[in-house]
Amino acid sequence: MRNRATPWFFLTPFLLAFTAFFITPVGYALYLSLFIKKRSGFGPAKNVFGGLTNYVRAFQDSDFLHSLLNILLFLVIQVPLMLLVATTLALILDSVKNGFAQRFFRTAFYLPYTVPGVIAGLLWGYLYSKNLSPLNQITGLKTDFLSSGILLFSIGNIVTWTWTGYNMITLYAALQNVPPDIYEAARIDGASNWNVTRYVKLPLLRPALTLTGIFSVIGTMQIFSEPFVLRPLGYVPDNITPNTYLYLAVARDGNFGYGAALAIVMALFTFILSGFFLRNVRGEA
Amino acid sequence: MTATQGFQEAKISTAPTRQKPRREGFSLLQFALLLLFCVYSLLPLWWVITTMTKDNSQLYSTFGLWFSSPSHFVDNLRTLFTRDDGIFVRWLINSIIYAGASAVGSMLFAAMGGYAFSKFNFRGRDSLFNAILATIMVPSTALALPIFLLMQNIGLINTYWAVILPGLVNPFGLYLMRLFWDAGFPTELMDAARVDGASESKIFWQLGLPLVSGGLVTVALFSFVGAWNNFFLPLVVVNKDTLFPLTLGLSVWNQTSVSSGQDPIYTVIVLGALISILPLIIAFLSLGRYWQGGLASGAVKG
Amino acid sequence: MKKTALKSAALLLSLALAASTAHAADPAFPKAPSGPVTLEVWSWVPGLDKTVAAFTKQYPNIKIKILNLGGGPATYTKLQTAIKAGSGAPDVAQVEYGFLPAFADTGGLADLSKYGAGDYKKYFVPWTWGQVSPDGQAVYAIPQDTGPFAMVYRDDLLKKYNIAVPKTWADYAKAAATVKTKSGGSVKFGNFYSTFAPWFMALAWADGGQFFQRQGDGWTQTLNNASAKKVLNYWNDLIKKGQVGTLAGFSADYWNAAGAGKLATNMEAAWGPGGYAGSLGTKSAGMWRAAPLPQWTAGSSVKSGNWGGSSNVVTTQSKNPEAATLFALWLNLSSSAVTADWNNGGLFPASDAGLALPALAVTSKNPSKFFGGQNISSVYAQASRGVNVNFQWAPWFPFVNDNFSKQIDKMLKGQFTPNQALDAWQAESLAYAKQNGFTVK
Repeated sequence: MRNRATPWFFLTPFLLAFTAFFITPVGYALYLSLFIKKRSGFGPAKNVFGGLTNYVRAFQDSDFLHSLLNILLFLVIQVPLMLLVATTLALILDSVKNGFAQRFFRTAFYLPYTVPGVIAGLLWGYLYSKNLSPLNQITGLKTDFLSSGILLFSIGNIVTWTWTGYNMITLYAALQNVPPDIYEAARIDGASNWNVTRYVKLPLLRPALTLTGIFSVIGTMQIFSEPFVLRPLGYVPDNITPNTYLYLAVARDGNFGYGAALAIVMALFTFILSGFFLRNVRGEA
Repeated sequence: MTATQGFQEAKISTAPTRQKPRREGFSLLQFALLLLFCVYSLLPLWWVITTMTKDNSQLYSTFGLWFSSPSHFVDNLRTLFTRDDGIFVRWLINSIIYAGASAVGSMLFAAMGGYAFSKFNFRGRDSLFNAILATIMVPSTALALPIFLLMQNIGLINTYWAVILPGLVNPFGLYLMRLFWDAGFPTELMDAARVDGASESKIFWQLGLPLVSGGLVTVALFSFVGAWNNFFLPLVVVNKDTLFPLTLGLSVWNQTSVSSGQDPIYTVIVLGALISILPLIIAFLSLGRYWQGGLASGAVKG
Repeated sequence: MKKTALKSAALLLSLALAASTAHAADPAFPKAPSGPVTLEVWSWVPGLDKTVAAFTKQYPNIKIKILNLGGGPATYTKLQTAIKAGSGAPDVAQVEYGFLPAFADTGGLADLSKYGAGDYKKYFVPWTWGQVSPDGQAVYAIPQDTGPFAMVYRDDLLKKYNIAVPKTWADYAKAAATVKTKSGGSVKFGNFYSTFAPWFMALAWADGGQFFQRQGDGWTQTLNNASAKKVLNYWNDLIKKGQVGTLAGFSADYWNAAGAGKLATNMEAAWGPGGYAGSLGTKSAGMWRAAPLPQWTAGSSVKSGNWGGSSNVVTTQSKNPEAATLFALWLNLSSSAVTADWNNGGLFPASDAGLALPALAVTSKNPSKFFGGQNISSVYAQASRGVNVNFQWAPWFPFVNDNFSKQIDKMLKGQFTPNQALDAWQAESLAYAKQNGFTVK
């Protein structure tokens, strides 16, 4: 019974679910993005066809463009820093011989990833209090973590706290897959520890770094819950990230058409950034 | 390095007999770095643990990183399990149902789909595969209304299905499974089975699946965590507190604490949160050797 | 002399008794439907399920299903989505006053005047009806609870610094200066909630400030009105002098300061004291008191504004709008429901009779107990009667609400003067409203 239908038989369950719960909603979002709100006098707004009006508006919306700039800042500072720390930790952990210590550190680093967003908000909201924060109490400083100058970094810190361990585990796992004989060979050649790291391990980590990098780009573009949970505690701009801005357009302003257009623009932006990232990583090789 | 090599090595790595090359020079500096990051990761969680032993007013009057009293812990525990007629237990069960169903379902779907992409050459295979992967980039906030409308139309709002069904789609899982099939199940083996007259479904279920068990566990586990911590989807499609998962339930308690202020229960919520992450910690610890191999092989191809 | 005093006291008492029995009788509610009906209600009022038990007893035909979907924003998101989708909305939902026009604007709220709600206007405190029926004709909701403004203060601190309870804003400023000097700056006299637009608006509301008005076929928006300018300049001055703090409301830092005696007063709505009692527990218990909001002119009758409070809407998706209207009226006018809501959730009534309910005057229970046994409800009842009646919101208020924080942040950083902040608030909100198709100037 090997015929051309066989692969489709295996694909059907996934494709059915995918079409129903992904393609259809995305299609509907595309459709929605073509409608704008129109009013005359009082009474509810009517949705009328507006063509690409929402898209034109998005590209002229300085608040939205500014939120994309914030993301670029994240991509230039937070993501490299996070991956650098994750790589360093993975390399160190790879050379820890004690099995218990290794498991302990691995689990400790990984734990933040399991904390749901609501709780991360409660938790960091408390740690970011100006007067009550143990961080300030211990250091004797009066840092206002939520003041507008530092806010973006405070959010970056929550993201870093949540995701570094996760990325570290991925990189660490990749290191575990390096066949031991490669090390042996290098060592017989008289390579130092540093040289083994520099010329053997790091190049082997490249694919894993590419993967974590791509996911970081996508994840950064969709940062939402971290800034959102801090909103009650201080002034967090509507457009701190594109996703909070989009959420407010939909949930607060009820502008579903504009929200849908913003989402499409964001997806395209992510696509371009990921492509750019991939090209640079590959280009270096 | 190809995915095949990567995966074979991933298998080697999970073998307990693997000898690590002797390495010297694990310096004090390196240990200090590990310890430092450990403190960074755990300090906020330490706050969670000390906070469980406080009543709400102590949250504002005691040092954040030290314990208060065991009796408050008992009070918090009692409140957690009795408030609103003990609905916390219901939320816990719901979370297990949602995450469990998503894990098993998406694992199966991804295994079948990945198999098709890996083992069969059909028209439009690569472009279909890439298109599926690209959808990871669409922000889920935008899909809320469409998914709500869809569920409404098929009459699934306020049912378990409304949360479970969308959770079955896991494009990254599909991608992982394709790699696992590429590496773990040689085509020669398939051809040999076909020559022996095995049916396609027998080849898949009985011959293939056991060989990619590491991948299955990985996909199931990540789907489980994803569904366990999912907040946005249930927020949109479920309007009944008896259908809430833990994340949504705790967040409703949190919002009620904020907006009414009469009876704030932040320390109870924090305790509930700790209980809610325990299953994830246990799952990761006990299944560690599977998913590490899984992640690595996913990472190898990039 | 003594005798006459006693006599008149007795007379007063009997009058009061007569009045309270008259109040205790609930108004006649609309007729219940004849067949069985189930109503879905979205509300985050604590203990509401127990409150409605009395309703089901009185109207066995009507079954009530209560869902708590989370306070404010969480419920709004769902309601917004359901209205847009055309189905899935409840029969009755809780909505705060400031957000009513935004929901009315979606077309998803039923006009309750069609179901006779207009006849019940007289049972509510006048300003609350202005909130649910801005044009005096269509009725978009039934008022539920209110947040008239008064001042809470630390009795112990005021005594310590030998300060009389300020009656005017001039007194208040003087006291603030005294406390700063005497405490060396460690005690703030008050607190400015820099991210709560409705808190600030309530202060301007008390001064007669108007922020939105419907005019003819469009709107007028005046966020930078004279009262707003007066209020903001006043507070900015105190903040700059370091006499008043700017801690975020309901934050850990705020409760810490309030409990530790680092804060002497604050302006709070009627639901505020319950939060103090709930959040502070035994810390500073018995030390707090409430007094009328300071006034701009000495000797004038107490004027106040309102912060928060909510109403019950009936959606156009409801299949039983009459029964839903009946329920909303019962929930907010029957003495049993109003009493239960006060006891379970600290909801300060919007109904006129509710303000005189005996339950509010109980001083052996919180919040009055926390406030040293003072009958604080009477302070707030007086405040409610002094709230300016003609105060309106606009459909784009949710945006205005968030934009306030942005401009005040700039003011606190010294980039804006108070007037510039208000002008920017006005300009950006106006631009937003126009972009969203409203006829507004």
